[in-house]
Amino acid sequence: MRYRRPGLDVFSHLLLILAVIAFLFPVWMALTAATHSRTDLYTSIAPLWFGSEGLHNFISVLTEPIPGVGASASTMLLNSLVMSLGIAFGKIAISMLAAYAVVFFRFPGRALCFWLIFMTLMLPVEVRIVPTYQVVADLHMLNSYPGMILPLMASATATFLFRQFFLTVPPELLEAARVDGAGPWKFLWDILLPLSKTNIAALFVIMFLYGWNQYLWPLMITTDQSWTTVVVSLKQLASASDALVPWQLVTAMALLALIPPVVVIIVMQRYFVKGLVDSEK
Amino acid sequence: MATLTLNALKKRYPNGHLTLHGIDLKVAHGELIVIVGPSGCGKSTLLRSIAGLESITEGDLWIDDTRVNDKEPAQRDIAMVFQNYALYPHMTVFDNMAYALKNRGIPKQECEQKVRETAKLLGLEELLERRPRQLSGGQRQRVAMGRAIVRSPKVFLFDEPLSNLDAALRVQMRLEIRRLLKRLGTTAIYVTHDQVEAMTLADRLVVMNGGQVEQVGAPLELYSRPATRFVARFIGSPSMNLITLEATTSPLAKHPLVRDMPAEPMEKAATLGIRPEHLRITDPLQALFRLEVEMVEPLGADTLVYGHAAGIAEQIVVRLDGIHPLEESAQLYLGAERENLHFFDVEGRRV
Ligand SMILES: Nc1ncnc2c1ncn2[C@@H]1O[C@H](COP(=O)(O)OP(=O)(O)OP(=O)(O)O)[C@@H](O)[C@H]1O
Ligand SMILES: [Mg+2]
Repeated sequence: MRYRRPGLDVFSHLLLILAVIAFLFPVWMALTAATHSRTDLYTSIAPLWFGSEGLHNFISVLTEPIPGVGASASTMLLNSLVMSLGIAFGKIAISMLAAYAVVFFRFPGRALCFWLIFMTLMLPVEVRIVPTYQVVADLHMLNSYPGMILPLMASATATFLFRQFFLTVPPELLEAARVDGAGPWKFLWDILLPLSKTNIAALFVIMFLYGWNQYLWPLMITTDQSWTTVVVSLKQLASASDALVPWQLVTAMALLALIPPVVVIIVMQRYFVKGLVDSEK
Repeated sequence: MATLTLNALKKRYPNGHLTLHGIDLKVAHGELIVIVGPSGCGKSTLLRSIAGLESITEGDLWIDDTRVNDKEPAQRDIAMVFQNYALYPHMTVFDNMAYALKNRGIPKQECEQKVRETAKLLGLEELLERRPRQLSGGQRQRVAMGRAIVRSPKVFLFDEPLSNLDAALRVQMRLEIRRLLKRLGTTAIYVTHDQVEAMTLADRLVVMNGGQVEQVGAPLELYSRPATRFVARFIGSPSMNLITLEATTSPLAKHPLVRDMPAEPMEKAATLGIRPEHLRITDPLQALFRLEVEMVEPLGADTLVYGHAAGIAEQIVVRLDGIHPLEESAQLYLGAERENLHFFDVEGRRV
């Protein structure tokens, strides 16, 4: 909608610019702080321009074990990446299969299954964290990728979204596929999956971010430093060290933690915009 | 080429609704059967039962010499064209048509050759790389046909395939389908509720009502000798005038043409049927009744006249050839030939 009101235009632009500054300023601060040495940061007021130590700071974060955490940023990035990819793919695979079963198959207890899944929406990780910990510990999955990923993989939200989408697929499509000789797996793989592209791309972004930002769960089940994730380490870095907080490392770390989610969003955005345009009709 | 035999076929939906009350039908090699009937009479259910998309509750379904009740749709070797086409939206026209072939493990080259042949037959060669949403309604319809034809199935099943098209396209596709089916010589069952489609396409017409078959026969046979009052009313447009004869009160009953009819049904409240096009203007002596004109609809080629006659409860419709400048409240003396009078007994059966 467009209004011809110059006053309103100026006002709304001003508001937008202010908001952008408010959001970008901390990122800018982090960016500049990451390029100074610790001495610089502690001897002068917060710098608003780049220093000369940037390359050195990033290299040391990525290659050397970080004091107070004990693992290098590259290890932690890898841990985070594996965990969030595992969670994102796992969630999508499981919830898609669950929704497929609930929508397209008639079996006893179908409604019950759906409601059970739906009810777990009310139980976030934090609520069931103690028993879950017990289970994972009993299965000897502490300090391991499966231990970090599996308990977070079931997703009522994604199941629900897939179900809603599957319900909009015309039943004739399934019937046409049956007449064409496609069994249940073929129908899922050849028809339902390509039709869900948009949903999958959108869900992938959401689930990846969800996985990436996990704090409590990985903190609890990783006792060995080599399993620490990026998000967990940020807190440790900022609070643990003996004397002065190494802000140049903390900010460098924070910037590194930003990159993968941003990349995922930029890459996936293309797909789901394309998917949106593609799949109508 | 195949025959299709339905033997006392019954279908009860899980909710307990008995939709098909025992359908018997024999379809010959290469025959084109059209099923018509009012909405909700079970046409789609019958077609889907034949396709295998609905289970059959009772009775047998034979394709050639095989009982196929318990076979999956794909194993029955049938092809179905859906009302909304049900094309796979993410596949190109080529892939849509090739999908069934691929699923049967037909080699790629043969697959491609068959698709191209079919596309040529239907004039789809230019469109093979397009997606369904880039096609017009008529083209989509054609692709749906192509997807059915490409497998050379034993039986084609059509569920109102033309009802989403506009009138002009419908006429064109109707002719095309008839030509195509006769050329392929495949047995086909075609569900429609369009009268003209039914009359022009069918080798034999099946009229269904409330889950039962009312009559099966050649279209013109059904038109000229409807077996029941229901068929009489259903076939033909505008539909047949059905006049309840109360033997004592109606002056019509004393008319020689009517008096001659078999005596027995006359004692009950029988029905006399006359098609609007068979009523014509005669002199008062021979007339069956005198019509008080209430409304005139000039259609150009013919004129529809609506009105009432003394002693007859039902509204009468007359179709007169050409243009008749009739006043409303005019009076017409109307008669008909003996062979154009249909009598039905109190149960609605022809006598
Ligand atoms: N899945 C179902 N469960 C229960 N009843 C059904 C089901 N599908 C159809 N029916 C009922 O069966 C009857 C026949 O339906 P059907 O779809 O065969 O009608 P139709 O003759 O094809 O009508 P139309 O001309 O409107 O398409 C209807 O009364 C309908 O309500
Ligand atoms: Mg129907």
